[in-house]
Amino acid sequence: MADTATLSAAGGSEPAIGRGLKGLLLVAIPVFLVGWLIIYPIFAAILSTLFVAGPDGVQFSTASYQFFFSDPYSRANLALTLWTTSICAVLLLLVGLPIALYLRFSTSRFADLVQSLAIFPMFVPSIILSYALIRTIGPNGTVDILLNAVGLPKLPTPYLTPWGPVIGLVWDNLPLTVLMLTAGLAGISSPSIEAARDVGAGPIRVFWYIILPRMGNSILVTISFTVLGIFSSFTLPYVLGPASPEMMGPFMLRTFNDLYDPLNAKTQAVISFVFCLFFGLFYVWSIARNQRSQSR
Amino acid sequence: MARLKIESLRKSFAATTAVDDFSLDVGDGELVCLLGPSGSGKSTILRMIGGFEQPTSGMIRIDGQDVTRLSPERRPTGMVFQSHALWSHMNVFNNIAFGLKLRSLSRGEIQRKVDQALELVGLAGYGHRQTFQLSGGQQQRVALARSLVLEPKILLLDEPFASLDQHLRERLREEVRDIQQRLGITTLFVTHGQDEALAMADRIVVLRNGQCEQVDAPDVLYRNPQTEFVAGFIGQMNFLSANVEGGRFRHPDFTLDVEVQDGPAVLALRPEALRLEPSDSPDAAGVTRATDFGSHIMVDVELRDGARLKVMTAPDARWQKGQTVRLAASAFALYRQNRLLARGGLPVETVEGRSRHALA
Ligand SMILES: Nc1ncnc2c1ncn2[C@@H]1O[C@H](COP(=O)(O)OP(=O)(O)OP(=O)(O)O)[C@@H](O)[C@H]1O
Ligand SMILES: [Mg+2]
Repeated sequence: MADTATLSAAGGSEPAIGRGLKGLLLVAIPVFLVGWLIIYPIFAAILSTLFVAGPDGVQFSTASYQFFFSDPYSRANLALTLWTTSICAVLLLLVGLPIALYLRFSTSRFADLVQSLAIFPMFVPSIILSYALIRTIGPNGTVDILLNAVGLPKLPTPYLTPWGPVIGLVWDNLPLTVLMLTAGLAGISSPSIEAARDVGAGPIRVFWYIILPRMGNSILVTISFTVLGIFSSFTLPYVLGPASPEMMGPFMLRTFNDLYDPLNAKTQAVISFVFCLFFGLFYVWSIARNQRSQSR
Repeated sequence: MARLKIESLRKSFAATTAVDDFSLDVGDGELVCLLGPSGSGKSTILRMIGGFEQPTSGMIRIDGQDVTRLSPERRPTGMVFQSHALWSHMNVFNNIAFGLKLRSLSRGEIQRKVDQALELVGLAGYGHRQTFQLSGGQQQRVALARSLVLEPKILLLDEPFASLDQHLRERLREEVRDIQQRLGITTLFVTHGQDEALAMADRIVVLRNGQCEQVDAPDVLYRNPQTEFVAGFIGQMNFLSANVEGGRFRHPDFTLDVEVQDGPAVLALRPEALRLEPSDSPDAAGVTRATDFGSHIMVDVELRDGARLKVMTAPDARWQKGQTVRLAASAFALYRQNRLLARGGLPVETVEGRSRHALA
């Protein structure tokens, strides 16, 4: 009897170990892929911009970084990228929040239509969106034709100005913004909002004192995600944006492809990466801080 | 202080009529319970009074002022919700102070009123706590304090204790009743627990499918239900269906002379209005079960036609399963199509053998 018991106990624990191994193997593959395809190239790129082959062998040098930050054109490109990113983030919040609020609180059937309209851009590839925008707001596009038809003068087109990519990027990132904000709003219970109205708060005060303070986290998540995406965006700035200054994405491609200058292209990539890393760390830090303050 | 007057209130959602021609007067300082099964429109009525739903038609007046079209923040009402209504990003003090701050009261005034409100609901010194550091019962007290601190004319409570356990619920409803009487605040209380309604209310409104079945004081409602639905909903009730023919209710086990028109009818008998006596007749009713509740024993009796009745007996009585018994009733009510036909306190007895103890 005792023997069978030990046997069965041993037999019972063996599959558990097997399961553990299988679990490790399952995560090992993605971890390996991340290491091989992402972590390793990052470090390789960073190292290759800092250790450069000179006349007397490989040497440590920050020359390419010094060049980037002393070159007015590179600095202008970085500034344009930061400007576009922050303008887009602000506009996305300004446009996305009212839509999300409407979707959360409307009971009309119209809300379904608004929802599908807001999500629609997600399914449109950026290249198609770019050409659609050129045909709409570009020179002699739909807007111009309509203005002309009613005898009004043409408007200055945002196409090939910094506002071109801004319009495209806002449109392109709206679905994600609305989805994330709606998810954040769903966490605010209806009774808590009705209770606020009950004690005398009108819609604006309810928004300011009850909804907004509890939206902090989801606004932060939304901004982080869109900022990361917009900072490194390529297609829309490439097609809709001005030739000079240009955003970091097209700038990198041109440096690499047209100027055959991989060292400076890599330097630009590392600098973009450091900015994104900074946003990422800020995001992680604020989420952690919020969670701590909530569990206190 | 405040009177509430509701006239022919009606509310339809797309396909359903949630509230249908509902009228009610609530006097100053009165506590009225809205009682009814799930989906009977209790919450919808309360939400229309609070301003959270717009009535399809009808009128709501508070102290003579028509508030039907006012938004919630402009109404002199205070509502306590079932749950999840506290603001989790504010501590207890700020939850209660929020409404006062909106009214731009001075700091000292706010502090004084909040402390007073916390004292009132038995949570003095809890102001600095976060809402998630409170138990369910304490959260509902904070919600109550938050409404009371603004001194509303009408207090609305929508099943505020539904998510709490039985003991806590009983304690809190006594406290709420106590506070309500001390402040003399006109109150509407929604519940689907009849014991809660019977324990707290000055008057009870019984609702069914959005319509009012009966409005009366608890004791009247219990002793004199005007409809078969109310009879069955408040307290325990035994029902027996049979035909009235020639002025006599003809059930194989219970007959009764009544002065009503011929036709089908339902006889309603309370368990405590029934009396049991042992019988040795072979075709008498039989005991199927006796459950001891301590204060009384509930005996299930099966009649010859298969109908089952509950009979309340004294705790010292002993009834065996299978024992044959004779039943006698000291009070009855007779309903047809949900309307009261006749009522009486006269003894009604089971029929034994062929002899009929029919009583006029
Ligand atoms: N927003 C709404 N849209 C559609 N129908 C609704 C809505 N609110 C309530 N109803 C319907 O109205 C009827 C009454 O609902 P109500 O919530 O008032 O019932 P209740 O008596 O409070 O029930 P419970 O005891 O379950 O809370 C129900 O049939 C319900 O389905
Ligand atoms: Mg309800």
